[in-house]
Amino acid sequence: MKQLSSLQKKSVSVLIILLSLPASAGDLYHLPAGAGEAGMGSVCIMKTGFWSSFHNQALLAYNRSFSAGINYENRFNISELGTRMAGIVIPAGRASLGIVYSHFGYSYFRREMGGVACGLALGEKIAAGIQVDYFSERTTGEYDNFHSVTCEAGLTVIPQENIKIGLHIFNPVPNSIRRTSLPTSLRAGAGIELSNVLFAGAEAEMSSGKKLLLRTGFEYEAARNFRLRGGFCTENTSFSFGLGYLVKFLNLDLSFATHEKLGFTSSCSLIFKIK
Amino acid sequence: MHKCFYILIFSLLPEIVFCQNENLSEIIISIAEGLASDESDPEAITLFIERLHELSENPVSINSGDENEISRLFFLSDFQIKAIADYVKTSGLLVSIYEITGIPGFDQQTAEMMVPFITIENNVNDQPAYATWRNTLLTNLIIKPGERDSSDVGSPWRILSKYKFTAGHISGGFTIEKDPGEKTLTGKPPLPDFLSANLSYNGQGFIRRIIIGDYGARFGQGTNINTGIRTGLSLTAPGYMSGRNEIRPYTSTDENNFFRGAAAEFSLRNLGLSLFYSQNRIDGTLNSPTDSSSLFIEDFYKTGLHNTLSLMLKKDVVTETSIGVNCTYDFSFLRVGLVWSGSSFSLPVNGESGKPEDLFKFGGKSNNIYTFYYNSLVKKILLFGELSANDFRNLALVQGITLRPSDRLAINFLYRNYSPGFHSFHGKGPGNSLYPSNEQGMLGNFTFEAAKHLFISAGCDISYFPWLKYRSSSPSVARKKEIKLKYLVTEKIIFDLSYNIRSSMLNFNEDQGIANMAEISNRALKCLVKYSPDKNLILSSCINYKISIPSESKGILMLQDVAYKFRQAPITIWIRYCIFNTDNWDSRLYSYENDLLYTFNIPALSGEGTRSYVMVKWEIRDIAELRFKYGLTSYFNGNTLSENRDELRIQFRVWF
Repeated sequence: MKQLSSLQKKSVSVLIILLSLPASAGDLYHLPAGAGEAGMGSVCIMKTGFWSSFHNQALLAYNRSFSAGINYENRFNISELGTRMAGIVIPAGRASLGIVYSHFGYSYFRREMGGVACGLALGEKIAAGIQVDYFSERTTGEYDNFHSVTCEAGLTVIPQENIKIGLHIFNPVPNSIRRTSLPTSLRAGAGIELSNVLFAGAEAEMSSGKKLLLRTGFEYEAARNFRLRGGFCTENTSFSFGLGYLVKFLNLDLSFATHEKLGFTSSCSLIFKIK
Repeated sequence: MHKCFYILIFSLLPEIVFCQNENLSEIIISIAEGLASDESDPEAITLFIERLHELSENPVSINSGDENEISRLFFLSDFQIKAIADYVKTSGLLVSIYEITGIPGFDQQTAEMMVPFITIENNVNDQPAYATWRNTLLTNLIIKPGERDSSDVGSPWRILSKYKFTAGHISGGFTIEKDPGEKTLTGKPPLPDFLSANLSYNGQGFIRRIIIGDYGARFGQGTNINTGIRTGLSLTAPGYMSGRNEIRPYTSTDENNFFRGAAAEFSLRNLGLSLFYSQNRIDGTLNSPTDSSSLFIEDFYKTGLHNTLSLMLKKDVVTETSIGVNCTYDFSFLRVGLVWSGSSFSLPVNGESGKPEDLFKFGGKSNNIYTFYYNSLVKKILLFGELSANDFRNLALVQGITLRPSDRLAINFLYRNYSPGFHSFHGKGPGNSLYPSNEQGMLGNFTFEAAKHLFISAGCDISYFPWLKYRSSSPSVARKKEIKLKYLVTEKIIFDLSYNIRSSMLNFNEDQGIANMAEISNRALKCLVKYSPDKNLILSSCINYKISIPSESKGILMLQDVAYKFRQAPITIWIRYCIFNTDNWDSRLYSYENDLLYTFNIPALSGEGTRSYVMVKWEIRDIAELRFKYGLTSYFNGNTLSENRDELRIQFRVWF
């Protein structure tokens, strides 16, 4: 009886994962946004931040402090769909290096991702970055395991002091040269600092085989070291909001995002500025 | 005072618009896209690109005041050319190229378009005492491994070679082309599949030009003779090509639409005269009646592709003899012209196919066309028109007007009426059809500078086809509407948004009897942001969306372009990455691509997949240039790769 229950749990879990993930945030192989970015509708590729540096590696170039972070995303309040992330940023001369790890799923199905990134300022107004990713997908039972290596790259441009443009490409490697296909995606966006306390941004994303996604979001510094965030994404008509608080070397962020059918996704992240 | 004003206005305009030497290739493509009325017509865009590159290499000296020199700006009308020449003669030399916008007949966008192709240095008459030889040799090699067909008689490579020399007033050159699948050498003696050559003399006096060999010609609005670019019907292009006369050496690769023989152009005060004679062998499908052995021409074969044994039988089977005269006379506000052209074929053309849509098909051995045209510029109104008659029976009429009520607004209208029985074998009048026949239509458009750095243009074209045509078993209507907004956000960012609707009537339910007609329409939205953070770097992001009605098929495309010129090496690199997703072929999307010099690529993308390319240009000192392009299109089925199509293009250009 116990064995039957276990099999049922396994099947239901796999079914939930397969059904819910394509209807959730973009690409299966996208690293989830950190809580700070998720609160802004996952507008990630042009605003400097710890987690956004792993969504557009060029932003690493603007992360000039040695820092580390952890993030937990609880998708639709189902623990089996939770993602745990950890990352570290190390400044090194004109460049900054980043290492990130994420774990999605639970004992019967898990997808792990590890990435090593480098961002470099090419000039006063241009920065570029690249990341090498390793994906591993393990499923118990008769399902095949899956491993793949790919890369992603980004570019940021600052045409004006208060405007930043971001571009990002994920998996530009032709699928013909490896055994398993991975989706590819392209993101472009721009953000503007409307005042010292208000930032707004928008980005477009297209993944292979999917419709275009548009995202927009803002961040408002309501009080000293306290930030409010809001955003919208056209995928599943998702609204999001969040807040962040900075205590000396510690940055705490919380976010909540809606899904038109499946409920809330909450995220929490802690970022430590070590040096 | 006016001069100072215009110089001030233009000096405030963005650097990206005018500071172009580094980014000429992108600018040329952008202009060609704007000028070409139909994005799915790569031939027209290729011709535009070829002509624009030629101009950029040898800019026009507008301060020469010489109409012949200024007329090299092919996208200008005769009267825009005359307006510049008159301005230089009456107001003195232009001190800045931005002064052009103050000349009647020019709006700001047309002036901007001219900038990369003109110089204010007046050196056109400074011919050296001795002839200096300049030679240019260009060779293209295109390989598409996946498109090899077993029925092909030759290699899958496309090879194109062009050579040109100039020595003082004399110039000449040749073009050799082999399409994919064709034999490299055919016939007796063995020659390339397409070989074209010319020798020309260009003068400033009574004899303006003499060409021996292959040449193209265009007179008036082109309903009689126009072997080059079709008069633009772009709904939102700033320039409006209202026709100009020229004969020019033929350097393109269309294997059937040019003249082979001799042509000359003379000018005596206000009188202009052009004469041409041609005898050319063209492709056709021959047939013979069942009760006779005599041959007739069933149809002309236009593609120029001879890659199978059956297609090789169509090559050069018809001899076409063409002769023509164009005569113009300039009054102070008016230019009038008369053209006569005659074409005759070595075999009769069968005009009776039995199909209802071919009721007005040309039949017989010869065709004569008589044309009268005029252009008139009165203050800020440009009027132009043309009437052509086919053996005095069938008519082709074009009438247009360009108004410029203020410096910030230009309005154009153009009416055309081509009767179904009008036939012109070398004519391309303004319109939607390939030939000026079986079409009535009206076009209106405007361009408006709504605010500083904000340009709005819009247009509408309605065409009526009074007789049946291919895939239309009843008289039909086609409509095009477009609105475009261009905003120069900062000095280095251009934002372009356009929305267009195109509809036409096509047959459906063709199984029994006369097919019913249904209106098919496509609505497309295009958003382009181009930014140049550094003079050596250009980034472009573009999103295209299209919906086809009534099938409700949708397509979307997102692409990112990067062009970078290395500072410390003579190398330029272009990279594109594009992701597309369309429901089916109805909602296919076209994406313009930068390509080898003088060429252009517009792949039609449908299904799910990605299109990417990388192109590298290496300038080898001042004597040669090597371009290399690798393109890859991947199609997906879900997340699984279903097909890959790649191609390699190499170009080598040397000048000495």
